[in-house]
Amino acid sequence: MPSPASYLLLNPAKPSSSRLLPPPRLPARRFHVSCDAPRGSAGARSGGGGGRREVVPAGASKAKKQIVFFDSAPPVSSSQPQQGGGSATEKGEGETPTSKGGNGNAALGLLRRVTKRTLSALSNLPLAISEMFAIAALMALGTVIDQGEAPSYYFEKFPEDNPVFGFITWRWILTPGFDHMFSSPVFLGLLALLAASLMACTYTTQLPMVKVARRWSFTHSGERIRKQEFADSLPRASIQDLGVILMGAGYEVFTKGPSLYAFKGLAGRYAPIGVHLAMLFIMAGATLSATGSFKGSVDVPQGLNFVIGDVMKPRGVLSIAPDVFNTEVHVNRFYMEYYDSGEVSQFYSDLSLFNLDGKEVMRKTIKVNDPLRYGGITIYQTDWGFSALQVKKNGEGPFNLAMAQLKLNGDKKLYGTFLPLEDSDSSNPNVKGISMLARDLQSIVLYDQDGKFVGVRRPSSKLPIEINGNEILIEDAIGTTGLDLKTDPGVPIVYAGFGALMLTTCISYLSHSQIWALQDGSTVVVGGKTNRAKLEFSEEMNRLLDKVPELIGANNENIVDSKSTAT
Amino acid sequence: MLFATLEHILIHISFSTISIVITIHLITLLVRELRGLRDSSEKGMITTFSSITGFLVSRWISSGHFPLSNLYESLIFLSWALYILHTIPKIQNSKNDLSTITTPSTILTQGFATSGLLTEMHQSTILVPALQSQWLMMHVSMMLLSYATLLCGSLLSAALLIIRFQKNFDFFSKKKKNVLLKTFFFSEIENLYAKRIKNTSFPAFPNYYKYQLTERLDSWSYRVISLGFTLLTIGILCGAVWANEAWGSYWNWDPKETWAFITWTIFAIYLHSRTNPNWKGTNSALVASIGFLIIWICYFGINLLGIGLHSYGSFTLPSK
Repeated sequence: MPSPASYLLLNPAKPSSSRLLPPPRLPARRFHVSCDAPRGSAGARSGGGGGRREVVPAGASKAKKQIVFFDSAPPVSSSQPQQGGGSATEKGEGETPTSKGGNGNAALGLLRRVTKRTLSALSNLPLAISEMFAIAALMALGTVIDQGEAPSYYFEKFPEDNPVFGFITWRWILTPGFDHMFSSPVFLGLLALLAASLMACTYTTQLPMVKVARRWSFTHSGERIRKQEFADSLPRASIQDLGVILMGAGYEVFTKGPSLYAFKGLAGRYAPIGVHLAMLFIMAGATLSATGSFKGSVDVPQGLNFVIGDVMKPRGVLSIAPDVFNTEVHVNRFYMEYYDSGEVSQFYSDLSLFNLDGKEVMRKTIKVNDPLRYGGITIYQTDWGFSALQVKKNGEGPFNLAMAQLKLNGDKKLYGTFLPLEDSDSSNPNVKGISMLARDLQSIVLYDQDGKFVGVRRPSSKLPIEINGNEILIEDAIGTTGLDLKTDPGVPIVYAGFGALMLTTCISYLSHSQIWALQDGSTVVVGGKTNRAKLEFSEEMNRLLDKVPELIGANNENIVDSKSTAT
Repeated sequence: MLFATLEHILIHISFSTISIVITIHLITLLVRELRGLRDSSEKGMITTFSSITGFLVSRWISSGHFPLSNLYESLIFLSWALYILHTIPKIQNSKNDLSTITTPSTILTQGFATSGLLTEMHQSTILVPALQSQWLMMHVSMMLLSYATLLCGSLLSAALLIIRFQKNFDFFSKKKKNVLLKTFFFSEIENLYAKRIKNTSFPAFPNYYKYQLTERLDSWSYRVISLGFTLLTIGILCGAVWANEAWGSYWNWDPKETWAFITWTIFAIYLHSRTNPNWKGTNSALVASIGFLIIWICYFGINLLGIGLHSYGSFTLPSK
């Protein structure tokens, strides 16, 4: 055995003790999780150790992944020959499952084979990646092509006699349903395929990984330890010290005789499973939303009411109207608040809900970002309008003048109304009167019968204004509230999926580090690997190994005697 | 008024300091590694960081809402996030190459924000009703942090690609306009070669240092993008929950939402392609570089179009 000094020469000082060559493939006992790892290289390196499992022969370099069905708890290690029928060995797995041998039922066997083949086809990683690419490309296309327009729009934009880019006519858009891309069969089909791939991959790759990751193993071979990605040896050290230091660094340490195994961050192996499951949850919830929800939109002037069931429309085939649809909603008051600059700061609607007996069951003032929830229905404040202007003319009234919305470019609204000053009859079609315009419920701009600007009044001020000999008093501005109603059974599931996805994505950032060590005489051979944070791992290991105390002098003999070397 | 002047002063301090820092960085890369200059560039970064933070805080106080309501503020926040990214490896005491990426990114972002293109957005404005929510802080800040992280990670991958295919680019090196590119990414290797070529006890690996550098870039890129992916997931999901609270549905296939989802998908492809040892390295770096473009389309391109529910960040280029 070489002296410790020559070890130092061969393996230079710590900062460069990481391996230079790419790490060799570890024996098949280590769990290699990849949906479609190349089989050729695995075959080239035979799995060592008797009594373990057969490795796929080198000739099967293009063999598809084989699926394992875990019908019963598989034995830890067995040397059963490959059995025909239902089971096959999977690369990297530590056990050979017992086959279902004795399947007298041919149809069941056929079903199993078909299922296995579909599963292995679906859980193919390149397929999943190309699905994701295709979905991304379709989504990008969906943002570029205008969605939801009438077919004549596409006839104009993509005419046949002058195709865009030389070949894109309206047929390209309308046939695959690209004008409603996000609900088109192509897109939804791809999403369903991705969901199937997710489920297949979770079942075939990640669930087995859970079983394997939990098993830890001691090595008794210094050679194997030195072949790890990070390997080092500490002359004149004790494995107990190493264990204590690792425990202090947050590792879980197990020792058995001269060998030691430590790991950290195991949750980082489980978390990707959680991510996939959370995504499946979200997809299931979204499907439920798409098929079972109700949506409705209504504009209600202040003071009026409506019945919820009247405005709701089902969105999908599974929509069932709940009893709460009989509730009547009454808009007590709609008002807006403004900044000092005159801009709107918030919209408020004071709503009361009455049930069939006329009893008020709920009252709430809602605003944007603060909806009303009752019995599974949610009412959102989304829009506003101007319903009517209440004016008094020369002390008579009050008259309710309906406000009409005038067309403006952009987001701002403009409402106007007209108060005639003469009688309108057929002989004089041009009736003169007072025009009033308003951008919001706060100020009304008044023009006289020649169209000249007269003044601005606020309904709250109760100040009269003199126009063309008439005294006009603006009493009140009655607004209309725009409400959106929704009931969605899928929302709890989707929210649960969101929470799980956020959590598991965070956890899967953790790196699963494993360290093996062996007390080899007075030297401790250490090797370790990690799946994600490779650079940080080697730096951390260097730091930790620096802390291991060096034993000098009399203690050497004790350690040499008590340890049994197993090389 | 006080706050306006304060903001004005702070933003100009930070902009000028970062210009000086970037000049120092260029000098250290091109000319010589001067210890004193490197220290002062670090101090310059700290100054810029504190003045940007001061700018954001004063804007927060003066306008009463979290400073993230239009494109200008979000760009300043993005450069602040890049500073944070620059500082994290220092706290962890690990040597990094990140500073080469983060400092130019910061200055470019800030330069664009303060430049003449967006002057009408410099004033802090009031918040429209739809944005008055606690979710504003959570969703937009998460998204911007994730953009910063993912930008950094994908630039690291792009650097990896360039270094690996350096031979193919050699015929470009004669041209002047690629000098900047070359000096940023190649001269580090040249420095390493020059300093340590005498030490022959290292194994005769022909491209040892290049290999080491690409391995480090690869590893860093993976970690940074994983972190960015987590933040992006949280940001998108926060946005979906907020949309459900505000408008009644958590996903509307809005262009911005869709492009954020596309970004998420591309980086999911990146993470998955790393599980296969055959594709690690070049192929995944290629995906990450595509991701760089996608992020800019998502963040900026959609705002240029100015459509959809996310129109708060939109701006129109001034017509000359």
